[in-house]
Amino acid sequence: MISATAAASPATRAPLEGPRGPKPRTRFSRRNIFIYGTLGLVALYYALPLYVMIVTSLKGMPEIRLGNVFAPPVEITFEPWVKAWSTACTGLNCDGLSRGFWNSVRILIPSVVLSIAIASVNGYALANWRFRGADLFFTILIVGAFIPYQVMIYPIVIILREMGLYGSLTGLVLVHSVFGMPILTLLFRNYFTSIPEELFKAARVDGAGFWGIYFRIMLPMSLPIFVVAMILQVTGIWNDFLFGVIYTKPDLYPMTVQLNNIVNSVQGVKEYNVNMAATLLTGLVPLAIYFVSGKLFVRGIAAGAVKG
Amino acid sequence: MHPAMQGLLTIVIGVGGCIGYFYFSNMLLDKVIFPARGPNIGRNINRANLIRPWLFLFPAVFALGLYLAYPVVETLRLSVTDRTQDGAFVGLANYSQMFSEPKFWEAVRNNFLWLLIVPAAATGFGLLAAQLTDRISWGNLAKSLIFMPMAISFVGAGVIWKLVYEARPADVEQIGVLNAIYLWLGGTEPQTWLTLPLWNNFFLMVVLVWIQTGFAMVILSAALRGIPEETIEAAIIDGANPFQIFFKIKVPQIMGTIVVVWTTITLVVLKIFDIVFAMTNGQWETQVLANYMYDKLFRSNDWGVGSASAMIIMLMVTPILVWNVYNARKEMR
Repeated sequence: MISATAAASPATRAPLEGPRGPKPRTRFSRRNIFIYGTLGLVALYYALPLYVMIVTSLKGMPEIRLGNVFAPPVEITFEPWVKAWSTACTGLNCDGLSRGFWNSVRILIPSVVLSIAIASVNGYALANWRFRGADLFFTILIVGAFIPYQVMIYPIVIILREMGLYGSLTGLVLVHSVFGMPILTLLFRNYFTSIPEELFKAARVDGAGFWGIYFRIMLPMSLPIFVVAMILQVTGIWNDFLFGVIYTKPDLYPMTVQLNNIVNSVQGVKEYNVNMAATLLTGLVPLAIYFVSGKLFVRGIAAGAVKG
Repeated sequence: MHPAMQGLLTIVIGVGGCIGYFYFSNMLLDKVIFPARGPNIGRNINRANLIRPWLFLFPAVFALGLYLAYPVVETLRLSVTDRTQDGAFVGLANYSQMFSEPKFWEAVRNNFLWLLIVPAAATGFGLLAAQLTDRISWGNLAKSLIFMPMAISFVGAGVIWKLVYEARPADVEQIGVLNAIYLWLGGTEPQTWLTLPLWNNFFLMVVLVWIQTGFAMVILSAALRGIPEETIEAAIIDGANPFQIFFKIKVPQIMGTIVVVWTTITLVVLKIFDIVFAMTNGQWETQVLANYMYDKLFRSNDWGVGSASAMIIMLMVTPILVWNVYNARKEMR
């Protein structure tokens, strides 16, 4: 309630009269108990496996055998990490994940660069240059983005075999580039259509051609979407398992396949710490991108979630 | 050669090839076929501009045709031929053979179980998490935690959850998280969770829900933020309680987004492969269609039945596919 004097002489401004004292405690209202209780359970479900993974990867095997799953390591050791990286056995070879890591890198970089280069040009052509048949092409792209890849797996094996690329990294790069193309083209098209058309028209009037407009107008204005597309492709290709196991041979298996083989190899005792360290190592690239790029990562994943 | 160098070389060849193609085909069009000079200069420029987009789309059209369109037709063809008879046409024999296998029906049953439970659970938890994290200070931390599994591969998630379900003989200390909790809560003896028929399906589903909740959460959280404040204020003034506000005001307004999230996760579920492959490989009655197909194609080398099962997956996806295409076209006009 505002006192009459304060209203009459605003210059002196008497203190307001109203409720005093500390803010009422609402900490244990029923609503808050509900919220915190639910969130606690949710956190348990989502965080516990991650926590156990990290803790286990830092323990030595004798300590793991004692049980105490949830206890933090008494003695932190990085030996499991070293072993997972360089000497863990898959049943075929014993050089750990390092081989898979380099294979993944060799698959990842060319396919990301290729698919983004082609898809961005296509998206630009679709968005800005009206031409006959664009609608049909567009529909094919959407169908291509959503169709389940199971339907295409075996015929692609045949095609790659005919081309002499079956079992090679080049073949896998080709497959990843093509499969990423529909969704990436749609992503770029949608972004380019949101750029005001006046810019495009002004550039045309000034005499810029197809490539001039692409490199001088579109590219500099669309860095965020390039980052999103890159995140989509990097995480998608890095985490891929099916294509890797089908289209390459054991020497060239990507990291995820190598991880699965290390974990499922039946030689000797189960080394939980090495398995967990290997999982963490495999997840390191996408997790690093996640922590660096934040919101853009979410956009990239959300854009890629619909693809077939 | 060092792998990095090899990768670099592939990029240079790939990108260089593309740029070269774009550049020279463009030059050919402008300088040779429709030169921008002479008596027909106006007509030539118009024609060149009509053709140019197709020139640049050609690599994509070609690749999509070869790798997307042709394989679909080819799979359909393979599903009605037989390997042992040198690829002779056998009609629907592959399909009838498949329908007589109990393992196939097990896969169909499990796929339907996955279909019923995972999208609902992931969307539900995602909605709950989106709503609850919105109003607390450490909400963003919780969000990034829940989203983190999205960054890990399905295989990685499978490995982590294998540790959760790990079981050891009753006389030694348990290492598996679930058994540790189970015994602590008063369970009598450790269970081998992944070999309990029917139940093990649900244990596998938990892994996918764990991964997909983050996706549902971020999309739905954005949708919740987009709800006009006035509608909620009006409901508060009218005396609605938080549950009424949530279910009668907020949820109906984001129904469209909920459907999109639901169908997206449904598409993931229909093709679920990695998790089952890495954790049980379809043993102990956990087979799913995609893994069944992999078994047929690459273990039994029977491409007839394998292609037939691929067509079944295609058939199950088609309704959502059509709906998605319809919506995308409507939206992107």
